[in-house]
Amino acid sequence: MIIAFIVLFLLWEFAVKLFGIKEYLLPPPSKIWSEFLKRQNTVMASAWTTMTEIIGGYLLAVAVSIPLAMAIAYSRFVENSIYPIIVFLQIIPKIAIAPLFIIWFGFGLFPKLLIVFLLCFFPIVVSSVAGFKSVDPDVMDFARSTGASPARMFFKIRLPQALPEIFTGLKIGAALSATAAVVAEFVASDRGLGYLLQQYNGQLETPMVFAIIVLLSLIGLAIYYLVEFVERLVIPWHVSQRPTEMTGL
Amino acid sequence: MRSESPSLPEAAGQPPPRQGTGVPVEISGIAQIFRRADLETRALERIDLSVKPGEFVAVVGPSGCGKSTLLKIIAGLLEPSSGTVGIAGKRVSGPHTDLGIVFQSPVLLDWRNILDNVLVQIDLRGGNPAAYRDKARTLLAKVGLAEFENRMPRELSGGMRQRTAIVRALIHEPPLLLMDEPFGALDALTREQMRIDLEKLWLERGQTTFFITHGISEAVALADRVIVMTPRPGRIERILEIDLPRPRHKDVITSRRFADYCDEITECFMRHGVIQY
Repeated sequence: MIIAFIVLFLLWEFAVKLFGIKEYLLPPPSKIWSEFLKRQNTVMASAWTTMTEIIGGYLLAVAVSIPLAMAIAYSRFVENSIYPIIVFLQIIPKIAIAPLFIIWFGFGLFPKLLIVFLLCFFPIVVSSVAGFKSVDPDVMDFARSTGASPARMFFKIRLPQALPEIFTGLKIGAALSATAAVVAEFVASDRGLGYLLQQYNGQLETPMVFAIIVLLSLIGLAIYYLVEFVERLVIPWHVSQRPTEMTGL
Repeated sequence: MRSESPSLPEAAGQPPPRQGTGVPVEISGIAQIFRRADLETRALERIDLSVKPGEFVAVVGPSGCGKSTLLKIIAGLLEPSSGTVGIAGKRVSGPHTDLGIVFQSPVLLDWRNILDNVLVQIDLRGGNPAAYRDKARTLLAKVGLAEFENRMPRELSGGMRQRTAIVRALIHEPPLLLMDEPFGALDALTREQMRIDLEKLWLERGQTTFFITHGISEAVALADRVIVMTPRPGRIERILEIDLPRPRHKDVITSRRFADYCDEITECFMRHGVIQY
């Protein structure tokens, strides 16, 4: 994996030099790196801003989605009244609402948190609802035959049973969170990586554009793997039985 | 729905030799009609049956004769359209908790190892699982799972998982054991061994056992009485007293009388078109 990347970067470096491609079109990796080092203070400060938006919005989404999913899964009333609205809202392109948030909430951190929240929220709710509902009826019959209290039934059976699907939603949400923050900054912002990206793009500073794209990808990847790491800790019994999948790194 | 308070035996860890701890089960006039839109399915029609304390009753019948429905009604997991079930003289309303249940699939919890899957029975009842650990180990050893207590369910074969489910259903020493095609998903050899193990466990504890199956010879091999059911609507067609010595070793189940009992049930199914030649 790492070797493949090194080979790719080397090919890129030499191809750019060999064919004399202009720097503002496709800068060589060495140039991207040196430009990044020159301005790393600005970039890292922006990265911090963006990370705050990502993590804040994501945690907000987790905190709201999971209790809501429980309410939907266990209350027929909530399922019939609120869930259709949620499904309908999911169809709205969330990014299209972003400019509205600027009108409503201004330029600060809050509208960005809200956009990250919105994008992460739906996959987490939908997966969690599926998880909470996916209990084998025989398991429930067994549990009822023990006379277990509702609380005990929830913590001993329903919740652990739902965790694999909840984590599926959490990972989809994590993968979307970085995109959401950048889009929010594109719409209106005076700081953050999305803002910087637009600035550099406008000035045709292509090496910096590349540097920021790489940095954003790394942040997104780090958040995704952090969630997956937590998953390994929380539900090792599930992770180890899952067929080997795209966890390549 | 009302549920009775969970019950656990007082002393833990030292199982006394218990013979005849079963309870009587009285089933009277049970009928079950499922209504969906304007379609009405009569699943069970007037089932009357008295099960003696400690008796092993096998119910044999084709798919769709309502035998699983009957088991759920006895357990109080399903309310019958009419009729009553009494366990130990008390009328069942809502899930009855003083029993053990085994389903066709083991329904183990993926996140618990084998020992903890047995102990979840105690855990859910609000008991102290640690107090039952030794007893769980003894029971697991009895069904050949001594070395597997720390394994996860997925690491075990279907037969081993089902053994775990049986131990889970017995760990709290219930006076009644309900089994819904417990060996249905297992291969023939495993089935035979499980049958032998189950009889052993039953002879030791003497809990009233209600065993649902498709298998005619399995029913005859295990039961004191075989209830033959026919479908649509499910009703009791015949009741056979199985007068064979126990334990039912090889010479018993290869005997002439054993074969005659099986024949009798087969012919009963043939008369009702369940089996056709």
